[in-house]
Amino acid sequence: MSKKQSRAATDVKTNSSDTISTAPAKPAVPGRTVGFVIMSVLTVFVAVFMQVQSRNLGNTDTSAAYTEELEGFRSDLWYLPDDELLGFVAIPAGSFTMGSNPALDRMAYENERWSRTQRQGQPLLPLYYIAKFETTRAQFAAFVADSGIAQQAIANSESLPGDLPVTQVNWPDALAYTRWLDEQLRASSDTPAELKAFLESGARVTLPNEAEWEKAARGEDGRVFPWGSLPNTNMANIASDRPLPVGSIECDECAYGLSDMSGNVWELTRSVLKDYPFSDEIDRDNLNAEQLYVMRGGSYSDQANNARAAVRGAVDPGVRNDTIGFRVVITQ
Amino acid sequence: MASTATRESQTPITLGHFKVSLALSAALLSLSFVPRVQENATLQLSFWGAIFSLLVWQGWLLLEAHKRGESFGFTVLLRPQHYVQAMVQCSVYVYWGFFWRPVYDHAWLILAQILFAYAFDMLLSWSRRRNYTLGFGPVPIIFSINLFLWFRDDWFYLQFLMLALGFLGKEYVRWNREGRNVHIFNPSAFALGLFSVILISTGTTGLTWGQEIASTLTLAPNIYTYLFLVGLIVMYFFSITLVAGMAAITLLGFSALYSATTGVPYFLDSEIPAAVFLGLHLLITDPSTSPRTPMGKLLFGILYGLGVFGLYTLLGMLGAPTFYDKLLCVPLLNLSVIAIDNTVRSINSDSLTNVWKQSWFGGRGNLAHMGIWIVVFIAMSALGKMDGRHTGDSVPFWEQACAEGRSNSCARVEQLYATYCNDNAGWACNELGAFYREGQYTDANEQMALTYFSQACELKFQAGCVNLLDDTSVTRSEPKELDLRLMLREGGLNLMQLPSGELYARACEHNWAFACDRSGSFL
Repeated sequence: MSKKQSRAATDVKTNSSDTISTAPAKPAVPGRTVGFVIMSVLTVFVAVFMQVQSRNLGNTDTSAAYTEELEGFRSDLWYLPDDELLGFVAIPAGSFTMGSNPALDRMAYENERWSRTQRQGQPLLPLYYIAKFETTRAQFAAFVADSGIAQQAIANSESLPGDLPVTQVNWPDALAYTRWLDEQLRASSDTPAELKAFLESGARVTLPNEAEWEKAARGEDGRVFPWGSLPNTNMANIASDRPLPVGSIECDECAYGLSDMSGNVWELTRSVLKDYPFSDEIDRDNLNAEQLYVMRGGSYSDQANNARAAVRGAVDPGVRNDTIGFRVVITQ
Repeated sequence: MASTATRESQTPITLGHFKVSLALSAALLSLSFVPRVQENATLQLSFWGAIFSLLVWQGWLLLEAHKRGESFGFTVLLRPQHYVQAMVQCSVYVYWGFFWRPVYDHAWLILAQILFAYAFDMLLSWSRRRNYTLGFGPVPIIFSINLFLWFRDDWFYLQFLMLALGFLGKEYVRWNREGRNVHIFNPSAFALGLFSVILISTGTTGLTWGQEIASTLTLAPNIYTYLFLVGLIVMYFFSITLVAGMAAITLLGFSALYSATTGVPYFLDSEIPAAVFLGLHLLITDPSTSPRTPMGKLLFGILYGLGVFGLYTLLGMLGAPTFYDKLLCVPLLNLSVIAIDNTVRSINSDSLTNVWKQSWFGGRGNLAHMGIWIVVFIAMSALGKMDGRHTGDSVPFWEQACAEGRSNSCARVEQLYATYCNDNAGWACNELGAFYREGQYTDANEQMALTYFSQACELKFQAGCVNLLDDTSVTRSEPKELDLRLMLREGGLNLMQLPSGELYARACEHNWAFACDRSGSFL
């Protein structure tokens, strides 16, 4: 102890006559027990706090899930549409007209041509089921809450309606949703028997390929738009500034009665962009190329030319933005 | 007492030396407004929380001191082992940060920690009713901690807590050694060791930059040579050559033995990981927490080498990050110091206990030890065991070793894939996915496989996308240029601008057979 400190550390005490003695005395140095206890408590606190952090890190974000009822959707079945086939529509087996004939469709792009010698093709497709609506935010949120995957698609926008089409999903996110829905439909006792039988016959839930999507959009008669061959801005959410809740625009004239096959959001497919004729074979010959994946239908921000049933948009598999979503199929 | 109270109430409270601690708090407050801190709300709140705690403590101490009529001051003591160590550590930051910019971004936060450390240490001394020994003591502690572990901005309050525990440990965890009451643990190693245990046991390493710190030291070219040279300064001034040198020699020896036995390197990409090399120069060499006799220092160094060697495997087996190896064994070694000293004393042979000391080297034992260490380092460098390319840098080498079933090599392959995948090399993500889908070398896990295939696909690695579509087989393809640029960075070069021909030539040197054909086409 320094001299200065010794001088300063004076013990003040009171004697019987209330006089004050200020005789210098060595101050009592506190024991180490209190400090050691504080240190130990601090250590335990840090350990417990980090254990809690650990749980938070490992937890799936269930706060993203919608909990309220949505009219027309079943909250007990992952917000799938409330109808006999949970929003799936059967597309019967058969051929259809794929690609564009510039003589009939002046807005056709070159990549919609079937081959050098043929403007359009006639692929034959087996029976499959396609969702009537684009996948919604509520549906995707149910998947996120259950799996913890792709949380960014619904992060920071909890206030948005659950029946808006989900966006900010990339191609692997969309495929992950379809795999998850496949598992749920197979496991649930509420899955309609027709769908369950189809799944058990070897079918699976996935993204549509280009042909499946196009047939569902334009039917078998080769129409340019889902409702016919002339543009009609009342039949699709195009040239606007935001997406609408799925099914907002009724379209009884549309092929198979599907909604939003034109406009609202681009819909991802499982097909790589390559020249026609269409083939559903997985391309393993160009693995070193940076392939783009086809998206269909145009979005709310597009004009009518990009909302035709034969238009082939394409995107990097990692891209997420506000104009791209998807719908699902059950197919062999 | 009433009159005493009257006297006290009449005496105005004066700040005295508390002005210094207040100034430190004010400086910390001003740092909380620099853009680096303001960019993260939690970080700024962490600063304010630390300042608030310091102010409350100061207020309480001030009132107590006033009540008791005490005052506290300073004893200025500038110890070379503090400022020389701090200068060496600072030079490491400057060199490393030149090649890994987050270090420079972290500079404001290091400065803040130094201010906090001084204030905390000062108040702790005054709480113990003694003058504060003002010197450079806190600086090497802060530098040392930050060379190995720092918390991310969102959890930076834990960094202040870690420092606080380090200083509390220095003050309150003590023993009598050779008749003196001294702290048991190296303060930085105590804080690092304690937090390492907590981080491992709670699985929260992700809250820190620990993994990145351990792996980015090698981004600085010739980092081993650099650490060796600055280490010589510390060795010269503080006679720690026996500790650091023996630790390095032990690690090199056991690595060589393992390699000769199994045919694969023990550590993934070096004979001694760069962060361990740093640790044995700057973390275990605190004279007050290590043995004082030459033979004791020698044993201390050997035990550190053995500790790191063993912990590396142990942590790997537990699935914990292996970079903790160099941190965990220091507190254990500090605890064993008295036992080491007693063991040395029990050796009833003056000639043996003094073999490293005076007689053989004409009273210049440390210089002789340094000479041996320099020779060892030069020899290891000449053999390519330090800077330069290392066998374990080659992914194909480990893949081949895994296929041949060599010791631990499949786990290393998995570790390499995970590291490179984390660096956004799509090829590595796809290979990792394949690893889990095939289940040939590890337990099959389709969910994990899909996660990594998704990552590969997002990175535009087409085989990953194909593997997402077809779950009945595994599709592979060769690494793309970008993958090679990310995976061939050993030695620390930024390969992003490297011409393609040189990149493929480099890949060919690393046993990528396809790259050998391709490098020829660029000639």
